[in-house]
Amino acid sequence: MPSLMALRRRAVNLLWFIAPFAALALVWVVAVELTDVPSRVFPALAEVWSAGVGMVADGSLWQHVGVSLQRTVTGAALAAVISIPFGILMGISRPVAAYFSPILRFSVALAGIAWIPLATLWFGFGNRAVIFIIFNAVFFSLTYNTMLGVSRIAPDMHRAARSLGAPRYRMFTEVYLPGSLPSVVTGLRIGMGYAWRGLIAAEIIATSAGLGYMLFLARRFYHTDIIVLSMIIIGLIWLAMDRFLLAPLERRTVERWGMVAGATR
Amino acid sequence: MSSDATYQRAGRLEVRALEKRYDDERTGDSVLALERADFEVEGGEFVALLGPSGCGKTTILNIVAGFISQTAGEVLVDGQAISGPGADRGVVFQSFALFPWKTVRANVAFGPKMRGMDKQERRQLADEYLELVGLSGFEDKYPHELSGGMQQRVGVARVLANQPAVMLMDEPFASVDAQTRMTLQEELTRIWQERRPTIVFVTHDVEEAVFLADRIVVLAPHPGRVREIVEVPLTRPRVWDDILGNDRFKETVHHVLGLLKAPQVTEQPTVEAET
Repeated sequence: MPSLMALRRRAVNLLWFIAPFAALALVWVVAVELTDVPSRVFPALAEVWSAGVGMVADGSLWQHVGVSLQRTVTGAALAAVISIPFGILMGISRPVAAYFSPILRFSVALAGIAWIPLATLWFGFGNRAVIFIIFNAVFFSLTYNTMLGVSRIAPDMHRAARSLGAPRYRMFTEVYLPGSLPSVVTGLRIGMGYAWRGLIAAEIIATSAGLGYMLFLARRFYHTDIIVLSMIIIGLIWLAMDRFLLAPLERRTVERWGMVAGATR
Repeated sequence: MSSDATYQRAGRLEVRALEKRYDDERTGDSVLALERADFEVEGGEFVALLGPSGCGKTTILNIVAGFISQTAGEVLVDGQAISGPGADRGVVFQSFALFPWKTVRANVAFGPKMRGMDKQERRQLADEYLELVGLSGFEDKYPHELSGGMQQRVGVARVLANQPAVMLMDEPFASVDAQTRMTLQEELTRIWQERRPTIVFVTHDVEEAVFLADRIVVLAPHPGRVREIVEVPLTRPRVWDDILGNDRFKETVHHVLGLLKAPQVTEQPTVEAET
């Protein structure tokens, strides 16, 4: 049961979180009012709001959001299942980690959007191409950071576990995985960032559903209200994922254990 | 307490003609870090390895622990040659090396868990050893929530709970403040007397070695080698308040300091210039 103090603090935090957005909205309303810009160039807040209400009412908004989220989760889960063990294996041996490090850094820079042309050639226009882009965006960043995390575990930690009788095969779950977690979380956060941008780009090009498609379709009909609505929703969903998924993951592990996350790209 | 004990306890350590050479990758030369070290530690004995840096004391400990391999000689624990790290040789590290992702209790229960002890049993065992080191009430904390001195108590409990034949301690109190260090030293002698584990304790602190050990293996540097093995003529229990004024303590410290300061003696024909 959170105390009254805690509730108050939470409310204050929330207000501080919302305040800059409220300010931005205010600027928007005033600017549109003053300049009288045509809505084909930029919509008024009220127009975006009513577009949003309309799309919620006819269900089309949920459909696009649902498709996008499903693709994101599928691609990211697939990447996590493969990258984490793969990264651990590479990180165990320092020479192996050093050998693969440059190629992984190279791949992290390219991950996501730059792969869309190849993805559409390999998988055609559709779900699989988009999921591939997400997988790809998360995969390189997560593999690289997991590898780095394992290779940075203090040698004494490894020695302590071994001299307490840990057999080699148990080192994975007992030492390598938890020991590299600060870095794994960083890798996941960076990778998800790439993936979310990649998703929008891939959906613009490769499919007929999802937030990217909604954005692209609206442009064809000069529906600037829907364009801006899409942009807002894309940003909001990212904030929500970060705040309700990635940040708690970090709080429950790395922060609770007093381990500092190494920001590595 | 000395080597003429009438019975042999388990936990006997023999170090025979141990040698370690490193290859210097830059120059291609091989550097002799340890030259033919010979000594024994009886079961239940407390022995300190003492010397300045470069004397090979940590090299010996790392070889005995199985972390690195020797270039010649052998290490026997209860007559068995060692190969690689193992639960028969527990290590207390200067860096503590606690698992930050495990609670204090789970850290102490780690060894028993690896042996396959069931959860209830190892939980009890861990709590028992945490009580031994004076940490009851901290079982559910994470290591980073404890002070350095408390963390090292966990380090000691973690090794003892695993009941190794030999407990190896690598300058375990070097990174805590002086006050805490003295408390930890007294605690360690108390626990040792209660449980009588075999302890090999690496240190560069003469007073610490004399205070803690039954015997001190004094090492000399460049190349690392055993200089002399000194018996400590002090009774137990030992507490700093009594020991500091004790003449035999002072004499032993003086004697050992002399050994460390003495110039290179003639038994080594030549000593090449320092690297």
